[in-house]
Amino acid sequence: MKAAEENVDPATPLLTVEDLQVEFDTYGGTVQAVRGVSFSVDQGQTLAIVGESGCGKSVTVQSIMGLIPTPPGRITAGSARLRGHQILGRSTVGGKEIRGAEIGMIFQDPMTSLNPTMTIGDQIAEPLQIHRGYSARDAFTEAIRLLELSKIPEATKRAQQYPFEFSGGMLQRAMIAMALSCKPSILIADEPTTALDVTIQAQILDLMQELQKETGMAIILITHDLGVVARMADEVAVMYAGKVVEYGSADDVFYRSAHPYTVGLKEAMPTNDPARQHELKPIDGSPPDLFAPPAGCGYCPRCPYAMQICSDRQPQDHNLRGHHSASCWLHHAQSDSRPETLFFKDTH
Amino acid sequence: MSDLTAASFAPLSDQQPSQVIARPSLSYWQDAWSRLQANRRALVSLYIVIGLLLFTVFGPVVWPVDPAMQDIDQISQPPGTDRTATLVADYEPWFGTSGLPGTGLRLAEKATSQAVRLQWDAVDGASGHRVYRNLFPIGPELSYGIPMAEFLNNDTLYFEDRLDLQPGRFYYVVVALDERGLITDRYQSISVDVERVTTRTEALERGLITESNAVQIGDKITLAWHPLGTDYLGRDLLARLMAGARVSLFIGIGAPFLFVLFGVVYGSAAGFMGGRIDQLMMRFADFVVALPFLLFMILFKIAFGIGPGESGVFPMLVALVVLLWPATARLVRGQILQIREQGYISASELLGASTPYLIMRHMIPNTLGVVLVTVTFAIPSAIFTEAFLSFIGMGVAPPTPSWGSMSNEGIKTMLTTPHELFFPALFISLTVLAFNLLGDGLRDALDARMRNVE
Amino acid sequence: MWLYILKRVLQGLLTVWFIATATFFAMHNVPGDPLTNDRAMTETTRANLEAKYGLDQPITTQYLIFLRNLARGDFGISFVQENREVNDIIREHFPVSAILGVLAVVFAATGGVLFGALTALYRNRLPDYLIMFLVILGISVPSFVVAALSQLSLVSLNTLVGFTVLPVAGWGTVMHMLVPALVLGLSTMAYLTRLMRSSMLEVTSSDYVRTAKSKGVPPTRIFTRHQLRNAILPVVTVLGPAIAAITTGGFVVELVFAIPGLGRYFVEAVQQLDYTVIMGTTVFYGAFLVFMVILVDVVYGFIDPRVRLDS
Repeated sequence: MKAAEENVDPATPLLTVEDLQVEFDTYGGTVQAVRGVSFSVDQGQTLAIVGESGCGKSVTVQSIMGLIPTPPGRITAGSARLRGHQILGRSTVGGKEIRGAEIGMIFQDPMTSLNPTMTIGDQIAEPLQIHRGYSARDAFTEAIRLLELSKIPEATKRAQQYPFEFSGGMLQRAMIAMALSCKPSILIADEPTTALDVTIQAQILDLMQELQKETGMAIILITHDLGVVARMADEVAVMYAGKVVEYGSADDVFYRSAHPYTVGLKEAMPTNDPARQHELKPIDGSPPDLFAPPAGCGYCPRCPYAMQICSDRQPQDHNLRGHHSASCWLHHAQSDSRPETLFFKDTH
Repeated sequence: MSDLTAASFAPLSDQQPSQVIARPSLSYWQDAWSRLQANRRALVSLYIVIGLLLFTVFGPVVWPVDPAMQDIDQISQPPGTDRTATLVADYEPWFGTSGLPGTGLRLAEKATSQAVRLQWDAVDGASGHRVYRNLFPIGPELSYGIPMAEFLNNDTLYFEDRLDLQPGRFYYVVVALDERGLITDRYQSISVDVERVTTRTEALERGLITESNAVQIGDKITLAWHPLGTDYLGRDLLARLMAGARVSLFIGIGAPFLFVLFGVVYGSAAGFMGGRIDQLMMRFADFVVALPFLLFMILFKIAFGIGPGESGVFPMLVALVVLLWPATARLVRGQILQIREQGYISASELLGASTPYLIMRHMIPNTLGVVLVTVTFAIPSAIFTEAFLSFIGMGVAPPTPSWGSMSNEGIKTMLTTPHELFFPALFISLTVLAFNLLGDGLRDALDARMRNVE
Repeated sequence: MWLYILKRVLQGLLTVWFIATATFFAMHNVPGDPLTNDRAMTETTRANLEAKYGLDQPITTQYLIFLRNLARGDFGISFVQENREVNDIIREHFPVSAILGVLAVVFAATGGVLFGALTALYRNRLPDYLIMFLVILGISVPSFVVAALSQLSLVSLNTLVGFTVLPVAGWGTVMHMLVPALVLGLSTMAYLTRLMRSSMLEVTSSDYVRTAKSKGVPPTRIFTRHQLRNAILPVVTVLGPAIAAITTGGFVVELVFAIPGLGRYFVEAVQQLDYTVIMGTTVFYGAFLVFMVILVDVVYGFIDPRVRLDS
């Protein structure tokens, strides 16, 4: 069994997530936060998971990392495989710690995500001591080097300071240094730039890309900012109400958008391209209540192209081109409605 | 997918509104009330508090017994004890002459609560005897108890005990003394079961029987009922607890109400005036906070000088108010300063709201919740303070009962009659607990921001 | 940091002056003549005392004399025990109260932190319910009842075992201190347990603990390195007032356990209206508490880098 697992087909993607389902028990009832999410990411690639708040994107990556508190959280179905090995509910894979060593993670608010009573250097050194067996002194020296790599000036002095002495951008750099200290194969970035100034945002994204080029790690980037997606992503998964509604390469999702929600998101985003100037159109309404998920498509009440079937039944995933797919009844063979803002399989 | 028809793919004609407001909107207080009702612990506490208030206000109507009246037939009686007494003849002096036959230490006649009459035989070589009484057996440490009498001759071989006799078992020891009057290791002991008796005259005086009653000497009569027993002076514990509740709850609720009121006025004045005056006022509040609380409570008590016949309730109330207002003042000032910075105040001002309107509509409702919670938490600590001071004898002056002073009296007889301590302590604990849990519930219900993680 | 400490000490001195003033005027308000006592006082003693405290002079002069003596550290001579200085009385009785208080604070703080952390770790499980039930008892039952009950159970314990495991009352050895200190610290321990529990739960759900988990830090290390230190901060902030509550709350325990501490002496002095002892003890306690609070704040500065480096 073990030998079979070791024998990984070189074509197997670095990380594959299949049909992940996560629930939370709350006082109001059970929330189905993630309702069957699948995606995969390869070495050196960046996957962006896009969606509005509450769509389950953070829960998805936190369950992969085992950060969902259980109870109230519960992973009810699905798998996540790292190089073919199941990692859901485990802390190690092939003798290596998943958290910190195989997968590094950075969070939205660097101000609250670092321990206020521990120096930055100690916090970066901590995973090195735990996963690599470094001595305290060696780990601290390495932490200073990592801070330098993350382009923090006066790293030696900075390593001895506390989080409250850092600016938000600096803290996020320190977070990145910490997440990457043990050279993980995947970096999960949960809205890494949302809490930062726009100018700082660009610097952080540049830094991530640069480090990716150096180490060949994969990045899973969670964001609601399509600008960030356009800049960073190779692959895009658009999530809505706990499901992936459109999945494909960045080009496919941006230029051949096949789901009305993706189109809605694009129209709600400002652009500086004069050729594509248009009035900003918000998506009316709000996402469905995940205490009692709708029988049909979650987007149906807000969808301008909604059909009878949309409110009755869950749509299937429709493969369009390559691995580009969309989960929408409009792509069903029997549907004859073909809104021109959307991309369809046989149009070019 | 054969069941899919063309109709399935027809455009959805009537789009339902995507969001429906399912719950009716509730006002702040309605919402808070419903949240409080959902909190079972807080609700039970609320019922307990209401019950205590009813007990205090209507208790004396239901149980109209004078808390100061002494029932000397029943002293330190726990609840549920036998209330019968045998009617006996009036007391007549005894000189050790009459008695039952026997040897050694023996009873001269049946032991009653009127008198215990003992006789004994002289111990060889003893030049005197000392009589002890104890509530416990002698035990291996030879604890004889309280010395009752000493006879420095070998002729007096009888003793009559009339001191504070209560139904129950007493242990008497007669120890032989040597020629120097020192005790020797030779002793005789006896255990005596005392029966409660009363005379016809006494029973008539207390209204237990009437002249017309055909009761005879030797008949059993029933004494007055004390549901929670009596204290060391034979006073009805239930009546005293009710009277004590008035004092304890008057101080416990009155003082917090007053000092919170003063704190609110002081704090909002400082908050509104701001600047140098605010600084000065708050510095003064800091000074008052620094006064060692219990020491100053005691200082104030003697400074007020409680005259004879006064209960000392009012001075204690004043002292509590004088010492405890600053915490509320600080809190309210902080709230006012915080609210003044809020966006909705600026928005309201932009829309032309006047200052009185701002105060009525925004400041008061937004501070009221915090103030209410403060009052609720201040009540248990005020009750504790009263109990504490009364316990060390620095609180209300006897004979005014308060739960604290009753505990103080009860603790002295804790070993023999624990009920005298138990009931006042229970009432203090129950009240404090109820107000604490109610405070927790109120805090959670009134302000989600103050919610403590539980 | 040094500037901060200096500032706090100066503020503290000002506070002590206020306490002294309040004490003086409160005592001045006590009805009756301080020198009219049950005890016969010789004319010369009386004259000496009158001269020393300026009792025949206007109140402002008396106040100034009081302040001058205070600044010299002279609390005067006891009115009841005529040849004993108040300083001596404090020197004799305060260490007893202080040892008892320190021990109680240690009990309360370690117990509070330990039990609070335990309840948070076992949240909504048996240890949590059990400890929180005891905490509610500790908060609701008055200290004198606890003192009496513990004394009672000591009596039973000693009788049961047949020898003195722990003495029931008195003072002298460590054995004498244990139970009174525990009783004295109990309600504070209950309060700190509650505080530590909610603080711990807040920290547990904090972002930085999630970060630590995402780094693969093992749970025990998360607990010791990340949770404990941050969760203790709010507990440390209330330690100042807690010390104040424990030291002055020592009266009852000292009375019940017959401990010759300053609290018990103060109660006796009040009963005998021993003016100088009452005033001296009050001012001394006040000053002690003011500086304890300052000390705790300074210690807090060392634990929390934000406070240490900001000032």
